[in-house]
Formats: sequence, C-alpha cells, structure tokens
Amino acid sequence: MRTMEVSLFIPCTVDVLLPEIGVATCRVLERLGVKTVYHESQTCCGQVFLNAGHAQKARRAACRFIEIFSKDDFVVSPSGSCVHMVRSCYPDLFPAGSLWRARALDLAPRVFELSQFLVDVMGVTDPGGSFDATVTYHDSCHVLRGLGVSRQARMLVDAAAGPRRVEMPGADSCCGFGGEFSVRFPEISVAILKDKVQSFLDSRADVLVLNEPGCLLNIGGYLHRHHPEKRVMHLAVFLDEAMERGSGR
Amino acid sequence: MSSPSGFREIASRELGNEYSRIFLKLLSEGFAILRSAGMSTFEDPQEALDRSRAIRRDAVERMPELLEEFARAAGENGAVVLWARDARHACDQIVGLARERGVRFVAKGKSMITEEIGLNRALEESGVEVFETDLGEFVTQTMGLPPFHLVGPAINIPPDKIGEAFFAKGVIREPDSDPVRLGKAVRAHLREKFRALDMGVVGVNMAIASTGTLVNVENEGNIRMIKSSPRTLVAVMSIEKVVPTLEDALHLLRVLCRNCTGQKMSGYVTFDSGPAGRGEKDGPEELFVVIVDNKRSAIYQDPLARQVLRCIRCGACLNTCPVYARIGGYPYGGVYSGPMGAVLSPLLHGIERTSDLFRACTLCGACRQVCPAGIDHPELIRVFRQREVEAGAQAAPGAQGAAERAALGVLGLCASHPAAWMAAVRSARLACAVLGEGGYVRKSPFGLSGWFSSRDLPAVAARTFREWWKGRDAAKGGRGPGGGPT
Repeated sequence: MRTMEVSLFIPCTVDVLLPEIGVATCRVLERLGVKTVYHESQTCCGQVFLNAGHAQKARRAACRFIEIFSKDDFVVSPSGSCVHMVRSCYPDLFPAGSLWRARALDLAPRVFELSQFLVDVMGVTDPGGSFDATVTYHDSCHVLRGLGVSRQARMLVDAAAGPRRVEMPGADSCCGFGGEFSVRFPEISVAILKDKVQSFLDSRADVLVLNEPGCLLNIGGYLHRHHPEKRVMHLAVFLDEAMERGSGR
Repeated sequence: MSSPSGFREIASRELGNEYSRIFLKLLSEGFAILRSAGMSTFEDPQEALDRSRAIRRDAVERMPELLEEFARAAGENGAVVLWARDARHACDQIVGLARERGVRFVAKGKSMITEEIGLNRALEESGVEVFETDLGEFVTQTMGLPPFHLVGPAINIPPDKIGEAFFAKGVIREPDSDPVRLGKAVRAHLREKFRALDMGVVGVNMAIASTGTLVNVENEGNIRMIKSSPRTLVAVMSIEKVVPTLEDALHLLRVLCRNCTGQKMSGYVTFDSGPAGRGEKDGPEELFVVIVDNKRSAIYQDPLARQVLRCIRCGACLNTCPVYARIGGYPYGGVYSGPMGAVLSPLLHGIERTSDLFRACTLCGACRQVCPAGIDHPELIRVFRQREVEAGAQAAPGAQGAAERAALGVLGLCASHPAAWMAAVRSARLACAVLGEGGYVRKSPFGLSGWFSSRDLPAVAARTFREWWKGRDAAKGGRGPGGGPT
C-alpha cells in the first residue's frame, strides 16, 4: 500500500503561540506511518476576519489557502474551528456558480481535524501508548457542533487513559472564548470561563484534553493564572506523550 | 421602545448580581433537563425537529400567499381582518376599536407583538386601562419591568419582591411572600375584570391559513378566558405567524411545547375560528385580527435575513445560550432577548443601534442546534457583523473599535505575505521578551486589557512551528520548538 501523505494545516495561533501542538500533530501522524508535508507559505485561514465581519479579508485568506492546499489529498489540522472555517464557511464566501466556490467545495471534504482524520479516515482508534493521569475531555463548540466530532476524540483518549477518563458536567458547553468576543466582552467571557473551569475542577481530573487552540488559550490562560497545578492539553500533545510513554515500555 | 444601548452597563450589573447569577444557572440547567426529557418522548426527536424546520421554512417562503389565504378564510369565518403597516398603524387601529366601543379597560393575554408595538402605552395614553392577565406579565406590569425571558417575563423575580410590589399597588391587603397565595390574589383580582370585560386583546401563536383559525398556547387559562368572555376580541399577530394547514400547526404545537417547557402539551391550547356563530352561547360577538407588518416585509425581501421570520418564540435558544445564561434578558434592552433577540432586534431597530447584541456572541452554535424553526443564528450574526463593517459603523464606538480595525488590518496584511508574517512574529517575540515571564505574558500595553483581566497568554514561542520545520528539514530529528524538549 502506498504511504499516506498528509499536508499539515498549522493555524496561526499554533504556529506562533503553541508550536508544540503542531509538532505533536506531526509526530503523532508520523508515528502512525504517515508521511507529512508542510507548505511554508501558509499563514492564516481567515476565520478571525470572517467572525469579526471582515468578509473581504476572509475571502482573500480563503483564496490563498485554496491555492496552497488544493493539490493535497489530505489536509489535517489540530484546530477544529479552522477546519470548520475551511469545510463549512469557505464555500459561502463565494457567489454560487463561481470558480472559487467550486474550488472551495472541492477542497472542503479533504480537510480534517486530527481526531476526525485518525478515526474516520485512517480507522485508528487506539494509536498505542498510555497516559497515567485522570483526564477529562472538553467538547469545543466548533468541533462538536461545527464538525460533528466528539466520539472520535473520546475514543482516542480512552485508548490511552482507559477508565481514568471522566466526564465533566457540561462538557459540551462553550468555554467563553469566541475570538474577538473574549476581548470585547471580557466580563461575560470570563463569567462563562469560570463555570467551565469549575466544572473541570469538580470533575477531579488532572488534565483537560481538547482539540481546539482557541479554547486552549482561553482555559489554559485562566488556569495558568489561577490554578497553575492543573493542566490543559491539546489532544495531539496528549497522544504524542502517551505514545512516547507507550513505546518506552 | 427602548434601544439596546445600555447593553454593557446592564450586563455588568447583572453579572454582579448574586441572585441573578444563581437563578440563571438554575434556569439554563433546569430548562435543558426539561427540554431533553420532553423531546425524548418523540419516537425520533431529530425527525420531529427536521419536520418542524421544514414546515417553518415552507411557511415563510410562501408567506404572501398564505397570508392571503388566511385572511380570506378568517373573513369567511366572520372575523374582520385589519392590516397594519407598522407599530403606530397597529396601535391606532386597536385604540380606535376601543374608543368606538367606549371601552374603559381591556384585558390582555401575554403577547410579544403587542409589547413590540407598545400597545399598552398607546391604550393608556388614550384613557383605556390595560390589565395584563398572564401572571408573569402581570408582575412585570405591576413592577414596571421589561421582560426578562421570552416565555417567563418575571421568572427571575423572587416572591418577596413580588409581594412587596403587590402590597404597594393594592393587589393584596397584607404583606405576603407566599407564591401560592400571591397567585391566588392575582386570580381573584383579575376574575373581576373578566366578569365585566368588553374588550380583550390576545396575541397569536399560529394562524392557520387553510381554516382561518387562531391558535394560542398557554399554561394559565387566562388567554382562554379572554378569547371567550368579552364582547369584542382583538387578536394581534405579526405576518410570519401564518402556517399552511391544521396538520402543520399540530406538529409545530407538539415541538413548541416540548422544546419550550418540556411539556408534551401546554395546559391550555385554544383553536378559534371566527366570533360566536348565530345561536352559539360562547365566544366574542366580534373578532378583529390585526395583522402587523412592522418591518417584516423588508426582512422577507432580504434573502440573507429572511430565515429570522421562522422563529416560533419557544425560548429554547435563550435557555441554551452561554451569554444569556450569564446576563439574562435585561441587557438586550427590548422585548426580545438572547439569540433570537440578537438576530431579530438588529433588523427591527437597525444594525448601527444594536451592535452589542450581535457582537456579544461566541458563535458556539448551541442556539442553532435546539432551534425548532431551523434558524442559523451564527450565520445571521456573521451577516450583521459584516454589514456593520461595511457600513463603517465600527469606527463609531471609539478607541476600541478603531484599535481592533487597525489590528485586523495589520493581520490581514501579514496573512497575505509570509515575509511580513515572519517579520511581525519577530517583533512580537521581542515585545514578549520584554513583557513576558516564564513563557507567559500577564499584561499588555497594546489594548488587550480585557483578555489579561483574568487570563495569561503564552509568549510568542522562541521557535515557531515554521522555524522548527525548517530546522528539522535541515537536520532531521531535531528538537522541538519553544527551545524545550518535546
């Protein structure tokens, strides 16, 4: 069988602020025998523009993205919201019947969030390895309601953490990030965030796993200041650590 | 009608209100349980939702012809249909009806459209007293408060506060805070009004086009009382309330009740087609149906916004909204709150006056998921934000808006030019080296004070992913970025 080749779609926040997530994504895929490529011309998918109402800027970013990734068979990203942007929002940025819309629609089904790719495309539900801590999973809005992904990530966490994965109440409720919302309406954002963190604390888990950098910045930023003993981990980093340990046994 | 300009101030006040906070938590958690229990009584809940969504989409698409069909059928049933262009036109006609009949007071059922058009004030200004007969509406009317929730306008008011207001206004003779006794007192107080009622005003949940029937959904029986006891009944509806057939109405009814309060059916559902016929003892002698446009035709003409008209006012989007669940209904500054307010109010009052409503949203999509009418709230909210940007209104709010615009401008430039991107990263890294400690930034002089009020931010990495990749390409198996071990 031909080696599967995956093009890494590393969102701007990951590139600049959370590069370890990109590295872990790359390593997890490679450990599973996938060949990775990275187009160095990629920058930002444009989600931040679209959500702020700057459609023209979003359109420009979308055209760039489509140009860069259009030849890839599989595009995989550690960000559910950026994948949602490409899969669901790109086509609507262009008028019906236009070439760009056709190109967006052509690319959309080849772009995947990491857990979605591992489970739904590769059929991997146990990448191997183990994780020795109590873990809970946060359903990010764009992953759950945007992409319809939640079972996949839980399967992967379960494979490594086994019975040490616990559910927290309200796992599927918003963490209060919302991009520009978190800066425009910090009081409301933090009120939502505090409840999310409380539900994490109540779950007694040591680690909160998620697959969305936006939520990670939000929840992680709050934990870093107020509960430094608690850890928030991206699914890619979680899997990479688990596989690292697993292979060392 | 009050404008939503005080959104931030009121939201801030509500966030600081301990009682509101506890109450809202109970409300959102409680309604979620009720809703899921209610919806699970459908054999296939998703199919039931899909069907109600299809019905509402079809009804709105065919609204002009359905309205004509409804008006014809209602007329044949003996009702008089009055069309109203806007709030003023509707109020004038209803006030006119009251005046012609020398009515001293009217009793009203709970209705959002009459709140929207300001009917109570119009009637009172022309000397007609108005009695709200829904318990929640009676409380808000007595206390002079706006509705807190679409379905439960006074759901947040504790009984002791209600007791105080009732005592002050003479509804009860002795101070009391027992909810059951307070409810009974209102019942006794209003029963007198029903006995001598010349004119009643109700809203409409659904207007069935094929039969000319008005459907009302309630739990207290007051609407049933108003629909049956006065000589003159006025039913007020906005144009989007029309549904094609009785069968459609029945399905929507099943979904509405379950999605709203978790009930399989509400306490009272009334179907009325026309006034009392010859020889019939019950029912009004005359029935007027006031069909109000108030900007709906314009919304209908707007292909991106039209879907707003599908709303059936179940309130489920409020109950599931993370923002509403923290600030409640008051900040929305009008009749409609939560996600449905955020998508309807901008169309009624203008994008430029309602910015906070559609900006105060995380785009989490929980509202869309529970909506029985198939409204895509996040999409609409993005559309409004886009229109605001296009109108250049964003610069208006002052420094914050301008700073954001500038930041997005720079980001946009960098996003199109990888070299600029790298240069920006290097500058930001230098700034972080000055501001940050231990790999995190705790404050910033560049405006992001909202973020840093309670959150830290990782500093720009010593090695970005891109730089790591380049290094790895050069020497395979290198160390990870950030300078640390991977």
